Amino acid sequence: MSTKKISRRNFIKLAGTVAGGAVLAGCAKTAVETPVATQAAVATQKPIQTQAPTKGPQGNVVVFHDVKELTPEMITQFESEHPGITIEFIDRTEPARLNAMIAAGTPPDLIRVQAPAIPGYLARGLIKDLTPYFEASSVLKLDDLMPANNYYKAESPTKIGTGKIYGMVKDFSPDFTVFAYKKAFEDAGLPTPDPSKTPTYAELAELAKSVAKIEGDRVLMWGYGYEDGWIDRIWMNALAELGQSLYSDDFSKVIISGNDETRKLAQYYYDLAKENLAVNPVNPSPNGWAGGDFTAGILAMMQYGFWFSAMAETDATRGQVVMLPAPTWAGQRRDPTMTATGMVMAEKSQNPDAAWIVFEWFNGEQPALDRAASGWGVPGLKSMLELVPQETDFQKQCFEALKNELALETPPLQFNPYLGETEFTNSWKTQLEQALRGTITFDQMLTNIENDVNTAIADNKAVIEG
Amino acid sequence: MVAARLRLTRTQRRTITFYLFISPWLLGFILLTIIPLIVGFLISLTNYEGLSVINLHFVGTDNYVRAFNSDADARFSLGRTLMWGVYNLPAWLILSFVMALILNQNIKGHGFFRTLYYLTSVVPIVAAITAWKVILDKNFGWLNGFLSIFRPGTAIGWLSDYALQGMTMIAVWTGLGAGMVIFLAGLQNIPDELVEAARIDGANSWQVFRYVTLPLMTPIIFLQLILGLIGVFRQLDLPLVLTQVGLARGAVPPRQIYLYMMHVYRQIFISNRWGYAFSLIWLLFIGVAILTLVVFYTEKYWVYTERPEEGS
Repeated sequence: MSTKKISRRNFIKLAGTVAGGAVLAGCAKTAVETPVATQAAVATQKPIQTQAPTKGPQGNVVVFHDVKELTPEMITQFESEHPGITIEFIDRTEPARLNAMIAAGTPPDLIRVQAPAIPGYLARGLIKDLTPYFEASSVLKLDDLMPANNYYKAESPTKIGTGKIYGMVKDFSPDFTVFAYKKAFEDAGLPTPDPSKTPTYAELAELAKSVAKIEGDRVLMWGYGYEDGWIDRIWMNALAELGQSLYSDDFSKVIISGNDETRKLAQYYYDLAKENLAVNPVNPSPNGWAGGDFTAGILAMMQYGFWFSAMAETDATRGQVVMLPAPTWAGQRRDPTMTATGMVMAEKSQNPDAAWIVFEWFNGEQPALDRAASGWGVPGLKSMLELVPQETDFQKQCFEALKNELALETPPLQFNPYLGETEFTNSWKTQLEQALRGTITFDQMLTNIENDVNTAIADNKAVIEG
Repeated sequence: MVAARLRLTRTQRRTITFYLFISPWLLGFILLTIIPLIVGFLISLTNYEGLSVINLHFVGTDNYVRAFNSDADARFSLGRTLMWGVYNLPAWLILSFVMALILNQNIKGHGFFRTLYYLTSVVPIVAAITAWKVILDKNFGWLNGFLSIFRPGTAIGWLSDYALQGMTMIAVWTGLGAGMVIFLAGLQNIPDELVEAARIDGANSWQVFRYVTLPLMTPIIFLQLILGLIGVFRQLDLPLVLTQVGLARGAVPPRQIYLYMMHVYRQIFISNRWGYAFSLIWLLFIGVAILTLVVFYTEKYWVYTERPEEGS
């Protein structure tokens, strides 16, 4: 019997882990592989499953996903086609449950993620290398993967783009394209921007000034919209045109006030807000998000990816929308996706082989075909690109514009493994409001953002590196 | 077994029955309150980030020190919460009390009006806020649209420039019904003979209210004050729902309504600082407990209670 004394540190760690794990596990359903007998019992509800299969992966697969993307009907269909495998669905609107499950050591087998989370997950060792599965798959062939899947390839948390494959996109869009509302331009007596010409950000700001309609203090037509929840990603892409980064080489610091180009970017977006050309914390969107403003016909230009084409035309905007190429900040054409929403498998998956069957099905079979045909994004597989709808004039125009953007083959943005997905934007909006109200200066705003973000990086880095 | 049960005295049986009856609540209280409190305290002494326990460390009181020394936003959000209390609590207490007084009169259709005013509390908070946002939006809201008839281009930021006042208005509106019902129940417990006696003694309506109704209602006011006070510090849903489309997209509430619980929420769900967030929650718990004790201490000075006289 060992007589080694447990240190205070280890005792606290153990106690915390046990207590925390026990309580958190209470929130999580235990992802224990379901025995075949149980599966057979479940399967008796469906004639096709009266006998449990004896070959191939079987059991329960826990999937953390979006209920609109993985519907109960789809799950029923999968289970009828794959007797022996059941899917236990957890809605992604329960992030605390996901955290609890991960912390308890029983993570969902498959998890819906966005690209900015990948480096952080890798740094924590939370996701599984799927390279062997991809290499052996006849459904998801390596040479059929769209370049956007490179967000799920990594040599290390700080080197994304090549290396092992940890997942793939469900679909994606080059996210920097701009949708223009023709009527807003007509009302302002301006020609609609030419979709065959690449605008610059400076030109878009000038256009926004010309097309915005402001009566007294009221904004009746906003000039320019962007996803302010992704402001850091927009800056990262603009800086990449110049070969620069928002972060230091080791990702331990954000560099804002020390880089003139980043200051210019901050100034650009500050001015858009100050002049009420874009929704901002002092003058928020009436629809909760700029995309809603565009579809309501009160926003002249909206920077969103191809996916937005599926909803850009509404009763208010039908026949009045055109998709423009991604603007350039410094003359270098780039148009990466900045979300790359997809799926990964947990390193601690209880049932990886069965989970891979679900993964293949969701990303390479009927659900993927349906998604491609829906037009809500570019499919993750090259072979499905032609399924993207091209029926209406607007769809045809968008598809042509899309092909030009895809041809750029822009490499992925390298996200910071030590930073939460919305940490930067939270600070940006908090500080921007104060700067717009004049309680702090523009320079103070930049300093505060740097301090906020660097503190968050330091906190996460300390946890990850122990 | 039967023999053993027979040996129990009546008192023992009653005691066992009592504990059996309260055991579901007691178990729930222990499992869902006491244990989470203890676990929360333990977590507050660590660097727990919510995702991994691999590098979990004991950090002692570092999180608590951080809250006092280097987190300006924690202090700011506490200040905003106190300000929220200053706006919301008196407005809610006074208006719901006044409403109850009005609806306690024997006027025609008082049952209908009681139901009508209580409906505000039945409407789900998200639906209520969505409706209010339509009315109060800066550029396209109905209210500013109406005001623009008289002063074209009016764009008052009810939910941004005056977010605290706007949120107070919504909170009072949604909470009025519940507050009113409790006050109404209290008012209806006031014996008629006391009011009649005061009338016979020549008291006018104000004097009846001041010297009969108000003193007898102080226990209810006290209860409402305590509940309201705790509610002020726990407030999260209103700023959360008012914040555009929620924090998932990195939305943040206007600075005016950046309440303490919003700061805690941000620490957990945006910054993954679970350990630190739990320390903030514990500090809040202690602060609210002290404040509640202070209010309880003042009870003897202003709350009317019917206690048996000494020696009786």
